[in-house]
Amino acid sequence: MFMTRGRLAALALAVVAAPSPAQNGPDGLAVGRQMLAEDNPGELWVERGQRLFFEKRGPKHASLERCDLGLGAGRVEGVFAQLPRYFADTDKVQDLESRLMTCMVTLQGFTTDEIVRKRFGTLDNDSDMEALVSFIGSKSNGMKMNVPLRHPKEAQAYKAGEYLFHRRSGPLDFSCATCHADEGKRIRLQDLPNMTDPAQVQAVVATGWPAYRGTQATVRTMQHRLYDCNWQMRLPDLGYASAMSIALTSYLNHRGNGGVVQLPGVRR
Amino acid sequence: MKRFQLKLAVAAAALAAVLGCASFPSADETRALGEQMVADAYPGMPAALTARAVQDADQKICSKLGGEKLTSIEAGRIVDAARATMKYPPGGKLAGDWKAGERLVSDGAGLRVREGRVEPVKQNGALCINCHALDPREVNSGNLGPALVGYGAQRGNSDAVVKYTYEKIYNAWAYYPCSNMPRLGAHGFLTPEQIADVVAYLVAPQSPVNRK
Ligand code: HEC
Ligand code: HEC
Repeated sequence: MFMTRGRLAALALAVVAAPSPAQNGPDGLAVGRQMLAEDNPGELWVERGQRLFFEKRGPKHASLERCDLGLGAGRVEGVFAQLPRYFADTDKVQDLESRLMTCMVTLQGFTTDEIVRKRFGTLDNDSDMEALVSFIGSKSNGMKMNVPLRHPKEAQAYKAGEYLFHRRSGPLDFSCATCHADEGKRIRLQDLPNMTDPAQVQAVVATGWPAYRGTQATVRTMQHRLYDCNWQMRLPDLGYASAMSIALTSYLNHRGNGGVVQLPGVRR
Repeated sequence: MKRFQLKLAVAAAALAAVLGCASFPSADETRALGEQMVADAYPGMPAALTARAVQDADQKICSKLGGEKLTSIEAGRIVDAARATMKYPPGGKLAGDWKAGERLVSDGAGLRVREGRVEPVKQNGALCINCHALDPREVNSGNLGPALVGYGAQRGNSDAVVKYTYEKIYNAWAYYPCSNMPRLGAHGFLTPEQIADVVAYLVAPQSPVNRK
């Protein structure tokens, strides 16, 4: 069956006219989860992140209010649900952390080195990144993940992510799929989410990270989670906001589309 | 005809653009992109460590995307390659000291990297209980692999069982191409002597694995 030009155009129009599912308001379930999350220690990171976002900081004494996280300068509502995405100014697909890094460098004048050094908080030093990500993540609560694959580079990142998810290497022959592609598996007592299952990958990306980690008594981000799994794989320290980490996030987050965001998460 | 196809292709691309779905890169382009990302993923790390992320020929074959199957030719290649890696302890004793094996099976350390440095350990652990139930009283065991409780009690400790068990641990892919079980001996993660101790732990009648 061949489509005529006319029919193609009509179909295209119909699709464009359909309302975007991105801006769904909170549903009942999400409201319930919100109440449950009320005594989540991660809320402290949300508050600190909010303060940091609006505070004039860095050598350029600027806030992040002019930071474009994908939906326009200063807009934080809904951005997490649509990341990673392509940004024309950097000509790159960026996740929330790499995009914040861009803004902290260009608007506030921080150096990349400094941001990378403080990317993961320690007992003595809180990480601003962990707080900012908590705040911005929470600003998508109640919305559905809706990560775009519109730009060719978004499609590339997604496919590269899929490739990398299945790519075995290292002295233990691990790929992500070794631990995350089968049902009901555990490493010792740690349950392993099966990320080939749509419902599970939705839960991981929409209600997982940033997460307050009880074992570490702090909030950790998706970049940290990937760093951690990479460590278990016996690979060297995963570069912060490396193209590989972003491609993996593109792959997972896009496949989590439809999941209702509720952040920060809580993890062991 | 050609021109008609071309028109169709143009129309399809336009449709894709309007629909908001970009076209995906080909498998070759994807591999090239992915490999470039791996090459860039570990800035500032010493070459000896980044080398770990480079795939060997067998790992490449075993990296199928979800749903893709290994061909029988590929499976044969993996098994042959795995057989070619087999090395045995000097003296040829394939079952060693089960008590030393017991300490190894629950040790999950070895070759981990933090801040560009390999974590210092006396010896690598054997990682077995990360993935297998062994001692029925051990609650902290994983299930990525099958439970091996009662292994020796069920199979005995004949030369054939001992040899199979040794070779399975040395290079799991010799018996199950592309298994999720790491090729622990072939990578040098465990020494032949360590593997022999673990074999003893699996088959010895006195071992907790086989005690009633
Ligand atoms: C050796 C096993 C192993 C490998 C290989 C592995 N992971 Fe994990 N992963 C884990 C464990 C263990 C957890 C934590 C589960 C828990 O806390 O219950 C985890 C958790 C995660 C989570 C968070 C899940 C959640 O519930 O929020 C993500 C995302 C993840 N891994 C991604 C990856 C990616 C991407 C790769 C490949 C780069 C990978 N992992 C490789 C073992 C592994
Ligand atoms: C990362 C997970 C993992 C680790 C670590 C691991 N295995 Fe396995 N093992 C598996 C999987 C998966 C299988 C099933 C597929 C196969 O046979 O290779 C398996 C299979 C086996 C079998 C074959 C079972 C049979 O019925 O014949 C034996 C024996 C075995 N493992 C022993 C060990 C021992 C001993 C260790 C520690 C030195 C170990 N494994 C470490 C995952 C693992």
